[in-house]
Amino acid sequence: MNCEKYYLPATVEEAINILRENQGNARLIAGGTDLVLQLRERKINTKALVDLSALKELNGITENNGWITIGSMTTHQQIAASGIIREKARVLAEAAQSIGSPQIRNVGTIGGNVVNAQPAADTTIALMALDARARILTNQGEITKPVGELFLGAGQSAIDPTSEILLAFDIKTPGAREATAFMRLAKRKALALPIVNVGVWLKLDQTLSKFEDIRIALGPMAPVPVRATNTEAVLKGAPLQQTVLLQAMAVLEKEISPRDSLRGSAFYKKEMAKVLLKRAILVAVKDLGGELGE
Amino acid sequence: MNKTLLQINVNGQQHQIEIEPDMTLVDVLREKLGLTGTKKGCNSGECGACTVLLDGQPVASCVLPALKAQGKQIITVEGLGTAKELHPLQKAFLVHGAVQCGFCTPGMLMSAKALLDKNPSPTPEEIKMAISGNLCRCTGYKKIIDAVMAAAAELRGEKTITMPTVGEQVVGSSVPRVDGIPKVTGQAKFADDLSFPNMLYAKVLRSAHAHALIKNINTKRAKALPGVIAVLTADDVPGRNGYGIHIKDQPVLAKDKVRHYGDAVAVVAAETLKIAEQALELIEVDYEPLPGVFTVEDALKPGAPKIHPNGNLVLHRKVYKGDIEKGFQEADVIIEDTFKTPMVEHAYIEPEAGIGVYDGGKIIVYAVSQGVHYHRSEIAANLNYPVSKIRVVQTTTGGGFGGKIDNSVHILVALLALKTGRPVKLTYTRAESIIASTKRHPFTMRYKLGARKDGKLVAAEVEIYGDTGAYNSYGTAVLTRVATCALGPYEVPNVKIDTYTVYTNNPVSGAMRAFGAPQAAIAHEAIMDELAKKIGISPVEIRRINAFRKGSATPTGQILNDGVGILETIERAVEKSGMH
Repeated sequence: MNCEKYYLPATVEEAINILRENQGNARLIAGGTDLVLQLRERKINTKALVDLSALKELNGITENNGWITIGSMTTHQQIAASGIIREKARVLAEAAQSIGSPQIRNVGTIGGNVVNAQPAADTTIALMALDARARILTNQGEITKPVGELFLGAGQSAIDPTSEILLAFDIKTPGAREATAFMRLAKRKALALPIVNVGVWLKLDQTLSKFEDIRIALGPMAPVPVRATNTEAVLKGAPLQQTVLLQAMAVLEKEISPRDSLRGSAFYKKEMAKVLLKRAILVAVKDLGGELGE
Repeated sequence: MNKTLLQINVNGQQHQIEIEPDMTLVDVLREKLGLTGTKKGCNSGECGACTVLLDGQPVASCVLPALKAQGKQIITVEGLGTAKELHPLQKAFLVHGAVQCGFCTPGMLMSAKALLDKNPSPTPEEIKMAISGNLCRCTGYKKIIDAVMAAAAELRGEKTITMPTVGEQVVGSSVPRVDGIPKVTGQAKFADDLSFPNMLYAKVLRSAHAHALIKNINTKRAKALPGVIAVLTADDVPGRNGYGIHIKDQPVLAKDKVRHYGDAVAVVAAETLKIAEQALELIEVDYEPLPGVFTVEDALKPGAPKIHPNGNLVLHRKVYKGDIEKGFQEADVIIEDTFKTPMVEHAYIEPEAGIGVYDGGKIIVYAVSQGVHYHRSEIAANLNYPVSKIRVVQTTTGGGFGGKIDNSVHILVALLALKTGRPVKLTYTRAESIIASTKRHPFTMRYKLGARKDGKLVAAEVEIYGDTGAYNSYGTAVLTRVATCALGPYEVPNVKIDTYTVYTNNPVSGAMRAFGAPQAAIAHEAIMDELAKKIGISPVEIRRINAFRKGSATPTGQILNDGVGILETIERAVEKSGMH
């Protein structure tokens, strides 16, 4: 792993003090399932690691006053198994469940997944669909940012792991006419990175015949996780109709720009993004008892 | 380096261990506690061989910083059961044949235990999910799932698993496999599980180019690094600097030229693995890159860069029978097609590993192997050392599929043991295993078949090009074998088969399960279907008409008198599938 010191602070305050004292030479480690490899391959170098796993305050899922809060050190397994998340934010439960393997989900955390900043990180896609807010402890104190603003490039997070601590995510508890869905295409059901993943949150109108609002997040369509805002605009206020869905798929094709990679060609990813978007919308609409007309 | 105190409870025993702060849990278990039942297959959290339970939860101990386990409870395979008192899972794995090479077994057992601790009556689907992070290359998973079901039943008190015992009558009865119990209890010793007092660790510097001249190698800085005991290059090979089962064309350490990305250029032995790794970075190699060839088509073009002095064609093998021109004249239907199959990696879960020990003039190599006698003779020639003073001991081998029949670590650890006089261990990383090990030959196959209207084959012309990569390895044997079986189980009176073994700058292709025959099967089975379609008969019918039977002649003229089962097999398959 190539580091000289390993800290296990007991409080967030202690953790931030260690980072300050080390002035950039120490960096945070969450679950480490990605970071340990990056350190071993010397893609990332650091003198010291500050492990947040002893911080109980960063671990867990709670619901208060219409907001669900997920501590940054909550594992994928905890999220996938959480009653609150499964019931109210299905997109996130399914995203967490699709990561790696049981061995990885038991250790890997949602905070680590987001700060690792991969364009198709499953929980990131779900969090963006949920319009989650990240709470971050910086040198200027605690700040809040939409998850979508945390990515600077592939593997580049806006959160500096040598000086800032991602504390938690806040998600507005979905209301009565709101539902979510997650779709993922990968070569295998386990231990496979997504070829395409799509997260959808949507709200129907009172009569369940129109899309009142929708958020669509996708990966890997660009160096960073993306929201398909043009496609969302087509759907917002539109009736629940197949033709509308086809129109949305056509717009989606124009607004995403995946690249050819070992996991699939750009053409294939575009085609499958459209299919997965359709499936996600159908699942979420069905969840609310809605139906798509001709 | 700063040491840190780690306090953990492993299999019910409390330990206080001084560790380097950046150790992973798997290394603490294996190196500090000697619990080598927990395996390192990929060292990147993918294969699951390192699975242990951390406070009851399965985790990949190879990507878990050991200090994350501070104050926690760990259970490894050694804590599951003992040879005398096997856990139901261990018994079930043995009885159901869920243990083959045994390398994935400890991790598989731990994932299964975690499941059964939480869920005493799992469905097969739940078992699949629970072991989805554990890769196995031998069993095909079904036996493992059956075993977990059986263990669950015994744990629920429903059905006891009975271990077979060896009675008077051995033939025709189930007997426990001799290496079974050590494999389910974590006691079986794979090469990397062994260590010797005073042992050194080796690392190989591999070529940074697919094709290049080596202008100079400077090992001065690496040799000066404290803890480095030896840095060897081609000039340090005392005997013949070449090996290979048929052609001695692969250097132990590359001298003037590298021919694929992964050629061994230098090897280091040091007091620790970390020092050996650092030393590699201090070796300076001046390369002059050469144009490379990466397809058989390019390799055989006139004027193509020559990979070896005699050119890129290693062998042209011919199997001709009858009169091919006459055969095609008799044909009512002629069909032609070209097929390509890709390179395939064996991907055994255990990476190559071995230890060379110098013992009073004798050199003993403990290593993964599928052919110790071959390794022994190569080592003798490469080291210019009497073969009678070389012993090669095959350690429990974690999957091979043909890939461990070739030399990997063997010659290098023998050479290092001879040069240093100390035991030297070399274990490949997963990436190194994929870069440096042999592969299944990629084939380009051109088929032309002629048949009468009634479906009877009268002529076959086949050209097969096998990409053997930078060195021959088993290439000429694979391409000879396929020359004899290119037409599969079908009788053709007029045959012209040409196969070509071709060098490229790709990874080396060698032996892999069935030696060229599976590639040809892709081609002959696909083209038989096409031919049936063209003639207008069923795929079954065309096979019935042409399949070998008693008295058939193969392309080499061999008359098949006994054990020709293809027709029977076809009929059984037809019966079972309901297809006619």
